[in-house]
Amino acid sequence: MPHVPTDDDVYEVFAQTGTGSALSHVGSLVAPRRDAAWHLAKETYGRRDDLFRLWVVRRGDLIVSSAGDRGLLAAKTRMPHRQPGFPTTRRRDRSAAPDATIAAPAATVATQAAAARERPGGSVSECGDAHGVAGRALDGLWLALADDLFVLGNRLGERIVDYIDLEESLAVGSIGQEALAHAETVLALHGFDGPAADAHFFERPREQWQVSRVIGRLGDWPSTVACGLVIAAAVTVLAEEPAAHEPAIAAVRDEQLVHLDHWRRWARALAAWPETSEEFAQAYAEVTRSAGDLFGAGPRDVPADAPPGPSAAAAELHGRLAALIRDSGGPGSLLPDLPVARAAGNGGSVLADCLAHGRVVREHYAPEVFR
Amino acid sequence: MPTAAAAGLRCYELWDPMPDEVREGARRFATVQALNELVGVLPFAEWLDRAPSYTRRQMLMAKVQDEVGHGHVAARVAEDLGMPRERILLDYLEGRSKVHNIFHYSFASWEEFGPGLLLMNSAAILQFRSLTKGVYLPYARALRKIEREESFHYQHALDLTHEVLTHGDADQRRRVQEGFEMWLPRVLAYLGPPDTETLHANRMYQIGLKPDGNDELRQAWLSKIIPVFRKLGVHVDPAMVRQMPSGEWEFAMPDWAEVKKVVAGGGPASQRRLDWVRGALDRNARYRRALRGVA
Repeated sequence: MPHVPTDDDVYEVFAQTGTGSALSHVGSLVAPRRDAAWHLAKETYGRRDDLFRLWVVRRGDLIVSSAGDRGLLAAKTRMPHRQPGFPTTRRRDRSAAPDATIAAPAATVATQAAAARERPGGSVSECGDAHGVAGRALDGLWLALADDLFVLGNRLGERIVDYIDLEESLAVGSIGQEALAHAETVLALHGFDGPAADAHFFERPREQWQVSRVIGRLGDWPSTVACGLVIAAAVTVLAEEPAAHEPAIAAVRDEQLVHLDHWRRWARALAAWPETSEEFAQAYAEVTRSAGDLFGAGPRDVPADAPPGPSAAAAELHGRLAALIRDSGGPGSLLPDLPVARAAGNGGSVLADCLAHGRVVREHYAPEVFR
Repeated sequence: MPTAAAAGLRCYELWDPMPDEVREGARRFATVQALNELVGVLPFAEWLDRAPSYTRRQMLMAKVQDEVGHGHVAARVAEDLGMPRERILLDYLEGRSKVHNIFHYSFASWEEFGPGLLLMNSAAILQFRSLTKGVYLPYARALRKIEREESFHYQHALDLTHEVLTHGDADQRRRVQEGFEMWLPRVLAYLGPPDTETLHANRMYQIGLKPDGNDELRQAWLSKIIPVFRKLGVHVDPAMVRQMPSGEWEFAMPDWAEVKKVVAGGGPASQRRLDWVRGALDRNARYRRALRGVA
């Protein structure tokens, strides 16, 4: 968590030696009086070079990263698809891949799912327990949330050009890309490789999707804020499960906590502002009322018509979700007291459009082209 | 490529005293760029939900985010020089400013998207690289940040085009060819009217904000991008563009009357762009006020 240092008489010094370079941090000094800081900096750090610019800023006016923020700051590692070398490397890796791995997508999904069941360590929930009923229940919850993250991530991507504010456009672009990345991480931990993940998101018939009902609420900005908030809260809660102590899940949790903070700030702003408070209260009520199924997915690989509803573990997770949402500073939450089962057919036109548009280009090419 | 300072020109930081025409010129350059990034990203953003795989979607989303980020850094430079960011889009909506010809079109197909992207990106890179030599240093630094991201966009566009040409069927490959032929004259025009004769009389050139002429940039761009398309297997019709023994490129002159008409709002997607921006501002203005806590 970034913090504000408090040594009030300490000043940080930045200097630039030529017009082509940027200002660099060169050190700090103690100045008992603010009006002396710049001159002391000149004598302390400006004795050798011809400086082009010298800037001094009081340490207490900075917001600085903490050691714990390094994971969040490792953009190159976290988001490799942004690097110029990424497309070339990907192309090379793909052409080197043996043809045997190319299969029809539907078959790939089935094969991967089977492989994941058989392979020890192929699933996050196996880290703690023997892979049993509890493990399959958690797998089911993770895979369902991955679907939610996928649709949410796509919707946030479209928000980049909605220009609520330029800085918000950039933030929402990153939250969207991270949501997609988290969805893929969850799939990878459950045994889906790249092509299988693509088939899972792009080829799976709509009847097999069981997104949360909040997805169907993704509309205007207030409901997007409310949906973002409850989904980030749910992922955070699930990522705290002891069985999920994968480093990849810890990274997902850290980023989702940042998303949660982002949506909470928006929730507070929209709730406090006279022009938007009523509208937001309504959106928040509708979204939280729909959010009872976030932990309502059945166990993995159990037919949808199997008797048990959400498990005892789901009820406990749901309780933690309720507490987290209550702490979010939004208006009244209408989250049901107990988890509600997910059902196919939720997601409305949001899911339908997401899936249909995703196939527009894809359906004109052989299945293996876009793996 | 020497910077303005290395070329012996006087350079300026934000709070330096500077001639009014430098301040106003820099503000205008940054404003024009901010607007063109924010509107110019829309034809790409329209394809986000159709990007056909997880990785392609991530790359395209990163590109769209970067373009808006370029709009943001340019808008920050303009704001510091007295141009409020709200006015950048408002002036466009109210007809006081225009976007470049290339942003008045949409892509009709995924196959057209790749070559269009590649032509536009490579031209923008050359243009930004030139402008980094300008005398207003905050803008030059903003452009250097932008240029670094553009190299990712370039590789992405190349990869996308390559993917379609490698895996597409004959029809799909033909659409890439047609896309190249459709976008080449548009991007030639985007680089501006011929100015070899007039550059030295251009005040922006004289004061060091426009370091290179349009013709010079167009030649440099063709030298870079035509071989790339040839290598991809795209046929370059000598009637459209060809290299002379001297190394100089000859090309079919864009129809400047048509370009002018398009820029004035007569392009196939001109109204669509305006409508999008107006809709976004209308539906979101109160949320922005809520965020800032000011009416």
